[in-house]
Formats: sequence, structure tokens, C-alpha cells
Amino acid sequence: MTISTVEVKTKTSLGGRILLSLRRNIQTYTLLIAVVVIWAIFYFLTGGSYLDPQNISNLFRQMTVTSFLSLGMVLVIVTGGIDLSVGKLAGFVSVVCAYLQYFVWYKYIPNQPLLAAALSVVCGLLVGIAAGALQGYLIAFQGLPAFIVTLGGMWLFNGLILWRTAGKTIAAHQEYFSFIGQGYVPSIWGWVIFGVIVVFLVWNVFGSRRGKQKYGFPLRPLYLDLLGAAVPIVLILAYILSVNSYKGIPFPVLLLAAVAMVMLYVSNNTRFGRYAYAIGGNREAARLSGINITSVIFRVFILMGALCGVAGIVLASYVGYGTIAAGQGYELDAIAACILGGTSPLGGVGTIPGALIGALIIGSLTTGLQMMNVAPAWQYVVKAVILVVAVLIDIYFKKNR
Amino acid sequence: MDNEIILDFKHITKTFPGVVALDDDSFQIRRGEIHGICGENGAGKSTLMKILSGVYPYGTYEGSVIYDGEELRLGQSSIHAAVEKGIAIVYQELTLVPTRTVGENVFLGKEPVEYNLINWNKLYADTQAILDKYQLDVDPRAIVSNLGVGKMQMVEIAKALSENAQILILDEPTSALSKAEVEKLMEILRGLKEHGITCIYISHRLEEFFQITDRVTVMRDGKIITTQPIEKVTQNDLVRYMVGREMKERFPEGNRHPGEVVFEVEGLEAADPNNSARKVLNGVSFDVRKGEILGIAGLMGSGRTELVLTLFGEYGRITQGTIRLEGREIEPKSARQAIDTGLSLVPEDRKRMGLVLIQSILRNISLPNLDQFSKFFRINANEEMQASLHQAKSLTIKAASLDVQALTLSGGNQQKVVISKWLLSKPTVLIMDDPTRGIDVGAKFEIYKLMNDLAEQGVAIIMISSELEEVLGMSDRVMVMCRGHSTATLPVAEASQERVMALATGVAVA
Repeated sequence: MTISTVEVKTKTSLGGRILLSLRRNIQTYTLLIAVVVIWAIFYFLTGGSYLDPQNISNLFRQMTVTSFLSLGMVLVIVTGGIDLSVGKLAGFVSVVCAYLQYFVWYKYIPNQPLLAAALSVVCGLLVGIAAGALQGYLIAFQGLPAFIVTLGGMWLFNGLILWRTAGKTIAAHQEYFSFIGQGYVPSIWGWVIFGVIVVFLVWNVFGSRRGKQKYGFPLRPLYLDLLGAAVPIVLILAYILSVNSYKGIPFPVLLLAAVAMVMLYVSNNTRFGRYAYAIGGNREAARLSGINITSVIFRVFILMGALCGVAGIVLASYVGYGTIAAGQGYELDAIAACILGGTSPLGGVGTIPGALIGALIIGSLTTGLQMMNVAPAWQYVVKAVILVVAVLIDIYFKKNR
Repeated sequence: MDNEIILDFKHITKTFPGVVALDDDSFQIRRGEIHGICGENGAGKSTLMKILSGVYPYGTYEGSVIYDGEELRLGQSSIHAAVEKGIAIVYQELTLVPTRTVGENVFLGKEPVEYNLINWNKLYADTQAILDKYQLDVDPRAIVSNLGVGKMQMVEIAKALSENAQILILDEPTSALSKAEVEKLMEILRGLKEHGITCIYISHRLEEFFQITDRVTVMRDGKIITTQPIEKVTQNDLVRYMVGREMKERFPEGNRHPGEVVFEVEGLEAADPNNSARKVLNGVSFDVRKGEILGIAGLMGSGRTELVLTLFGEYGRITQGTIRLEGREIEPKSARQAIDTGLSLVPEDRKRMGLVLIQSILRNISLPNLDQFSKFFRINANEEMQASLHQAKSLTIKAASLDVQALTLSGGNQQKVVISKWLLSKPTVLIMDDPTRGIDVGAKFEIYKLMNDLAEQGVAIIMISSELEEVLGMSDRVMVMCRGHSTATLPVAEASQERVMALATGVAVA
């Protein structure tokens, strides 16, 4: 028997390289195309008003709460878990914030709305982190199934919401606190932020080229790297032009962008992020590679809890109330956003940008269908069909690759 | 037509990409006999049985199997076809549903129904009838998970016989049984013989052939070596047939100069982490020198893999014994600790334990070594790439780039990725569990050369192998394991294939 071994030489042409990078990110691009198609359909169906600056502004703002949840959910699902408690936990955090704003701070620190708002944020985050740590402890250290623990968590937080609100809504539209969910960044600051982003992206291109040079790696042509940075710059420019012609960047969208950047960095450039993907990809191999699986999964749930805290704070501030229905069903929206965004329910695969675009698709559908006054019953049917068909198409392409 | 012959294998050849698993095999099985088949790991026994049971259907192999005077043509679609023809197999790993009753398992998929409802009384009565007929002492209503392994095997046999099997294949039925249970099984098999059922009996325990079989066939390297009436052979004859081959020029010349002892294991005993009553290691002692390759030989189930996983802190609970690395006593409690003290493990099953198949070569190589490239939170991607690329190049991994998914690589290249990942952590002792399993000859040779290079650089290598030839061809010394303990450590010059096989099968003691 003869075995011939062929060495594949890497002398790809420029076009080949662009194609390769396209193919590598094919899933993200297909998703972006899906967004464009959905927007185009609604644009025509609504006679153009769908893409009004006001609507664009609202669309992005409305998707922020579930987006925070889906950012954490990606890592949970990537490690092979699930978290059903996130909607109710975010809801509970929003109720805690509203309760503190309305009943507590004015008694102890009257007339200091900024300090009160800051304390509400800190408390909201702490509640989220503590809840995440508790569930993470049961899942990682006690080995209970995530599905069961977080189902219990969902019921528990629902109970806590009912207990704390006693069936009433609690107002949370105080000065400063309201800004978190309802505020707008003045257009001049919008341009400053844009400038900072452009400088950062360009600096990043040159920084990474310098790094590669230092290690003697081949460089891509400069214009290709700059082109790579230009795509997000153009998209952000279009967005800022649009929202600035309304009231400016909604503050929660800015917050989401910042948190997403951090999560993107964590998932790609830290040991913790790498280990999470390795555990989901092959638990046994990860264990034999010296990864402390218990610790990584524990930290994933703490992170999820912290993001529930952020989502809850934004929710309380945006809605302006803590209500008994707070966060109802958000966990499933977050999971759906991840799956739409290419996260594998089996673990090991999933990206932060994908989850955000998934959330954007769901948000786009919801606002579009609402604008067209589609009955809620049919809104659910349309969303159901799109979710399942999208995954079906995805599986079809994976099989035929 | 000879009515005495129930099964006639005629010139069976089965190839897999790069490997000839069965090579022009012909032999016959007589009606009503108990026919033993023995051979080393990978000799082709299982492949042959898979042809008989329809796992490899008609058309995927060359040659023909004549069963009861007719050519056996098992379809592509259903493994059940063989069962319907009266050929039943009891696998080494039991295939029962543990949470259901004996009766439900025996009639799984063929439950007696009345108006679309299961007739439970009939099911249990029929089960009882089968159990009685073959004197199997099990309660039909018992839950399977509450039974011992011996009884589970009886259920497995009852399940096989419930479809009027004419031929019963037993693949290493005794590997998990106690002595008393083995005796009981032998009794049952003799009973089956009285009922006219033909048995094919595969085992690594040679003494069992002399207790139970009428004739025995020996396989080696995919070939049938001989078929003999059992009274005409001795255990030593069987060992000689199993290994009798000349050493080919398959191993590169090494220039190793073993130095001082770096790794010592003394009297190691360990228990199964899931069943602390079961001892998996039962007194293992050996040492390895700097720049030496120590081979560990042993048949499947001898505790080889359990040993290395225990040394790596990831399997057995150590109940006794010491492990010393460079004179210091160590107690590895996790893979991380083992890696940090200077051990590396290339595990047995690269797909299940060695690689994250859906990830890139780069991510796989760097996975256990990210601490090297990290400052605070940040992984320096350039350093990661540089070190991984260097390692991949020095092992000549063949791929378009390091961004290629590990699952697209050939077995040999996958194994090189696993080895790269473990060399990057600069081990003092490199443990390799069956490092060349399932890879082609060319890649094997490269891995052997690599092992020589590493040993010359002073790495102490412990190599487990299922291939006796490989152990003898590559090692400086050979440790033989049998049933959880080390029976002997021999310099390679004193280790003949016959002697090692005799030690591994428990025929001889050192």
C-alpha cells in the first residue's frame, strides 16, 4: 500500500484571499444580508416610513435589553449550557432598581439624584452577579443540569418580582436614572464618538500590522486592511447620520456597543474565552488540556448574571417602571437571537457579532410587524416561521459545503 | 453440499483507506461446534464479525460467505437482517437499556402486541420460556441496572437467542466477568451446544479456549494463520501463531543514550473513580530514564490506559504507591497540575480526547499552552501564532494554514497536531498512548523518527502500544501489564514477541 502525502502550498492570489476571508465569515455576511432583505421588505410595505430616523432610533433602542442578554447567552450556549432564568432575573433587577429609586434612596440620601442613580446601578449589578454566582455554583460545582437550575431560577425570580412589586408598578423615571435607558447623546458628542472610533480602527490596523511585522509574518496589502476597517466605519457613519437627524445616539445603544466590544475581546483574546469555546467543542479534550472546566463554567454564569444586571437596569430606566411582567419571555428572545446568529445549540460555536445581528433581526421583525399593525397572533406565527426556516437554511448550507 | 459446514468464508478481503483489514481469508465453521478465534488487537477478528453481522454489508468486501449452503447477502439498510437469518452477536460492551426490565430488553423492538398494545403477560412468559430453555437464571421482571455484569450477559444472550439464532457470536464475553461468572458462562455455552447452536467465541484469554472450544482459528495482520482442533495445540502454540512474524524495516534507527532516572512509579494501586470497589491498577512499578523510550505492552483491558490517565491526574483514585518526578514525589490531582510539573499526555483516542475537532489547528496547538502567551488578560496572538507555527513546521504538519479545522486533516496529521500541542509545553516526561493507532505507514514512520529525536534531546518517553512489533521496535525497555499490574520490565534485547505475549496473556509470569 502506498500513501502519498501532498503538501498544500499557500500561494493564494489576492482575489483568492478576499474570497477566503469572505467564506470564513460567510455566516456573518449571510446574516447581514438577511437584515438588509428584511429592512427592504418593510421599507416597501410601510411606504418608506420603516427607515425613518425616528424608527431606526427606536428599533435599535428597543433591541438593547435582549441584546445584553444574548451577549452573555452566547458564552453560556457555547460551553454547552443554557440559561432560562435571564429574562426573569433581568426583570427582578429592574424591580429592585425601581424599588430602590422610589422607596429607599429618597429616605436616606434625599435630593442627590446622581448618587441615587449610581447606587441603583451598583445594586442592580450586584443582584445580577449574586444570582449568576448562585446558579453557576449549582451547575459548575454541584454538577446539576443547567436547564433545571435555571428553570428553577426563572420561577424563583418570578416569585421575587411578585413579592417585591406586590402586584403594583413602581415608578423609576427619576432624573439621571432615566437617562440610562431614555437619554440621547447630543449630536456633537455623537460626532466626537465617531471620530474616536475611526481613529481607533485605523490605529488598530497599523498596530496589528506593526505587530505582525515584528514577528516576521507576511502582511496583507495595506488597502485590504484599510478596506476591512472601512466597512464598519461606513456602517457606523450611516447610523450616526440617521440618528443625529432625530435626537442623537440613544444612550443604551452606546452602552450596548461598549459592552459588546468588551465581550468580543473577552471571547477572542482571553484564556477564559478560549477555554469556553474549547469546553463546548470537546469537553474531554479540554479537560486533558489542563482546563479547569468547573471554574470556567462558574465564571460564565457570573458573567451572564452581570449582563442580566445591566439589562435589568436599562429595562427599568427605559420602561420607567418596575412591573410584574418585567422581562417576561426575554430569555427565549435571547436564545433565539444566539441561534439565529449562528450559535450551535450543541456548543463550541457562536460569535458575539452573530448574536447581536440575531437580536437585530428579531427586533427588526417585531417593530416592522407592529408598524404594519399585524395582529399579535400573526406576529408570533411570522417570527416562528422565520426562526425555523433560518436554521433550516443554515443546516442545508452546512451539509452541502 | 456438506451439511456439516454451517459457515464457509471464502477469500474474504476487506480494505479501508490505507489499510488491508482482512486479507484473502478462508475458513469454515462446523454446525454445532464452539469455534474460538484469537489474535492480537487489530488482527481482524472484529472486522470479520462485522461482516457476519451485517455492519459491513454485502458488496463492501470481496469474497463470499456461504451460510447454510447459501451465499450471505446482507443489505445496506438493516443490521437486523443478520439477526433474522439467525446470526446473533453479543458485543463486548453490553447493549442493554439499563433502566428497563429483563423482559423488555429481550423483546426490545419486537414486543408481542395485541390491538397495538403490548401484551405484557406474553412478553414476560416468553422471556421466562427462553430463560428456562437455556438455563439462564435471571428474573424476567428485574431491572437490568440492578443486575451484575454476569447476569446482564445472560440477558444479552437471551436477547440474541430470542429470534431463534443458529449462530451466536460472543466477542470477548469474559473481559468484565469474575471467575465464578466465567464458569457459569462456560456452563451456559455447553448447554447451548446441546441445543445445537453454533458458537463463535472470541477472547484474549487463551486458557478459555481450552475449557470450551472444539476448534480454534488464529488471525494475524488480517490473515487466517491456522485453524486447529483444540486438543492438537498448546497455549504456547497459539502465542507463536499470534505473533510469529519477522521484524520488517519499519522502525528508524535511533541513537538514544538513556541517562539518569527521571520518573519513577512504585507499587501504584488505584480504584475506578465511579466504582471504588473495583481496582483498575493493582501494583504497578516502573521507572523511565532521561532520553529513554519505555514501551508498555498489554492487551486491551490490562489497565494501560487507566495507568497513564491516573498518572495524569484524570482517572483513578490512587489508593497506594508513589510517583516521583526528578526525585520529588508528586501527586497529580488534575491535568493542569500534571502539565505544570512537566508531564504531557498524547491520549489514546485523538478524536475524543486529543482534539477539539471543530477548531483550527492553531487553537488546538495553543490550548494547553495559553499561559505562555498571556499577559494579564490578553493573549498575544502573534506569539501564539509564532510558537505554534514553529512547532507545526518542525513536525511537518501538512495543511494549507494553521486556520484549517482539525477535523479536515488526515489521521496522521491530526496526531501530529496533538503531539505539537504537547511538545509546546516542553515536557520532561512525554506519555504517548497508542500514538500510531489508525494512521498510515508513512505517518507512523515520521512519528517514530520524531520520538527518536525527542529522546535524543533528553525527553523521557513512555509509549503504550497495541502493536507488539511497535513496542519492540521502538523501546529501550518494555514493561508488560496484565490485569492491572506490571508483570515484568525487560530490556528490549530480552523481550521476544512470544515472551511479551506470554506475559501479557498471563500464560507466563516473570
